[in-house]
Amino acid sequence: MRDPLSKTRKARDARDGYGFISLWLFGFFALTLIPLLFSFFLSFTDYDLLTPPVWSGLNNFKTMFTKDPRYWKSVFATFYYAIAAVPLRLVVALGVAMILNTNRRGVSLYRALYYAPSIVGSSVAVAVMWRQYFGTEGIFNALLRAVGIPSNISWTGDPRFAIWTLILLAAWQFGSPMLVFLSGLKQIPNELYESASIDGASGIRKFFRITLPLLSPVILFNLIMQMIHGLIVFTPALIITGGQPLDTTNFYALYLYRRGFETFEMGYASGMAWVLLVVIALFTFIIFKTSSQWVFYEAEKGR
Amino acid sequence: MVKKIGLLLISIFVLSSVAMAAGKSETAKPRKAEIKIIWWGSQTRHEGTIKVIELYKKTHPNVDITYEFSSWADYWTKVTTMAAGGQLPDVMQQDYARIAEWVKRGLHVQLDEYVTKKIIDTTNIEPSLIDTGRIDGKLWAINLGSNSHSMILDADMFKKAGIPLPPKDWTWEDFEKIALQLREKLGIYGYGVHMWNDQIWKAIYISRGEWIYAPDNKSIGYKDDTPFIQYLEMMKRLVKAGAMTPRQEEISQYAGGTQPEQTPIIFGKAAMQHQWSNQLSAVDKASGGKRNFVLYPLPRVKGGKSANYIKASQYFSVSSQSKFPEEAARFIGFFTNDIDANKILMAERGVPISSKVREALLPLLPPVQKEVFSFVEYISKTGSPCPPPDAPRHGELINNLYQPEVVDKVLFDIIDPVTAAKILRERGNAILSKN
Repeated sequence: MRDPLSKTRKARDARDGYGFISLWLFGFFALTLIPLLFSFFLSFTDYDLLTPPVWSGLNNFKTMFTKDPRYWKSVFATFYYAIAAVPLRLVVALGVAMILNTNRRGVSLYRALYYAPSIVGSSVAVAVMWRQYFGTEGIFNALLRAVGIPSNISWTGDPRFAIWTLILLAAWQFGSPMLVFLSGLKQIPNELYESASIDGASGIRKFFRITLPLLSPVILFNLIMQMIHGLIVFTPALIITGGQPLDTTNFYALYLYRRGFETFEMGYASGMAWVLLVVIALFTFIIFKTSSQWVFYEAEKGR
Repeated sequence: MVKKIGLLLISIFVLSSVAMAAGKSETAKPRKAEIKIIWWGSQTRHEGTIKVIELYKKTHPNVDITYEFSSWADYWTKVTTMAAGGQLPDVMQQDYARIAEWVKRGLHVQLDEYVTKKIIDTTNIEPSLIDTGRIDGKLWAINLGSNSHSMILDADMFKKAGIPLPPKDWTWEDFEKIALQLREKLGIYGYGVHMWNDQIWKAIYISRGEWIYAPDNKSIGYKDDTPFIQYLEMMKRLVKAGAMTPRQEEISQYAGGTQPEQTPIIFGKAAMQHQWSNQLSAVDKASGGKRNFVLYPLPRVKGGKSANYIKASQYFSVSSQSKFPEEAARFIGFFTNDIDANKILMAERGVPISSKVREALLPLLPPVQKEVFSFVEYISKTGSPCPPPDAPRHGELINNLYQPEVVDKVLFDIIDPVTAAKILRERGNAILSKN
């Protein structure tokens, strides 16, 4: 192991390695790390983009937590959305993945078709389409009327329903977690199901005793990714409801954007962004911590 | 070996892309002046302005022009970010409410020099119209057209309902009665969208000879909340009677009511709507160009004076970050004075300030623009003086307080109008006290 070449070789490896990722490193430092640190600094200032930032200490955070009712409303809306949309999307994704996890003819076509909504997913076009569906004179109301239910509810404009149209949109865009589930399902050895069948286990029992446990690492991954997506939801609210009605869809990221880029309170917006970062980190940490209770790793030793 | 080749390839790739980038800037090195123009507006405006830019490029081959446009809602986000990054376009559309702040921050070039040198020719422009672009006696912006508030009335609908057009000095009481009649006779909303917007708030106090902000901009400028409360109550009555689009429907069906092209009056679902006078051409175009829209001054409070005034609809300013301020100014001069350019624009930004341009356009105007011209003419004779620019933090007050916490909460029945007026005063003063 300790051959005299190892040192120079290590140095050379390092040089080559850094050489290869240099472009990425440049991007990371110039486009991510430096702006990140800068926004940390800004969160302690008043900054309107056009004049230099003025130090204001913890003022932004004080306002946020004690003097801004719309802030807490946006926190509530965001959690409401995430708690409803994330499990819904995961359940739909898993369900569709299981249906598509067969070897029937043409199944790959269906896989592509079901993934399609997610490609166009966070795009503005879909959001605009959703508005057409759920507007007062939208397709949804027309359908209701066609089956004899007179409805002129403004689904996206009514404080009771607006957030649910967005949750529905999230559930519909199940494509990327579905693909991950699909690849997870493919890795579960068929023999397990076969021997379970021989023992006379029902489909439901097989699902809970074989599929779910063996899929749990994939569920963990999807849960974390989707939770983060849920907490930073932005585009659908901006385009479909504009945060309206009555701020019921004024999600955290949207409100942050508004304060930063509409009323140009960049310091306040930066502060909000950092609180969000801390909260997401905290939630990820909690999920990881609890994961040892429910995630099953096949290769784990000593258990 | 393989690794070495890989490294070599990578470095070739990197070097060549750097070289390419360098080469690019080398060849594109401006022999030509390059200027960029940015504006906000409707589809009609985008099409017209782009045509004028093409025309300018043909007649001025030494200049290359790029452009960008957006809706009003995105515009200020865009330009403010650009300004912070030192990337502000050479010519930018400006607004009466914001210009003072932008000038104060040194973002614009003073234009007096270009006027003296006749790069921007003001021979045919009344001095009072040029003065609208002055701050403390210095010229910072060129007025692109005069306009005023208006209530667009769909005359065909009035006829169909057998309701005579009101007198021009109508009051809010008249307005409410008509909206209710339209509902009763035609089953449509009498009034369309955006009734809650802050322009109406301002108009009510202007009609009383007051202003919403105190002279020092540090507090709300009027003592009596009653007119504001009455206005909120009127909206509630109209919605309840089905004579005004409910806020729910406005959000879900008309995208919040901010784009004139997407409003109920276009689709024949309402017969009255508040718009700026120059927006009539966008409304007319979007509705097919075959309807009889007439422009009315805003209603007055009982016994009050005109709530209307003449205002520069918007300006062009030259950015202090521009490399070619003179070329930018030349374009503004062309935009203001060139007859052919204005034949394309057809006064969509408001009544042109150059008397020569006005004369040339008059015989060509489609009926809808004739209506706009005569309306602006009428207001210039009967209107009130132009109120001061909006207070600093006006945007903050409207976006963070007025719309979400005051009018929306009333329209969604969360609070009553009296409480709303109290909240507006207390929290509004708290925001303004930072000025």
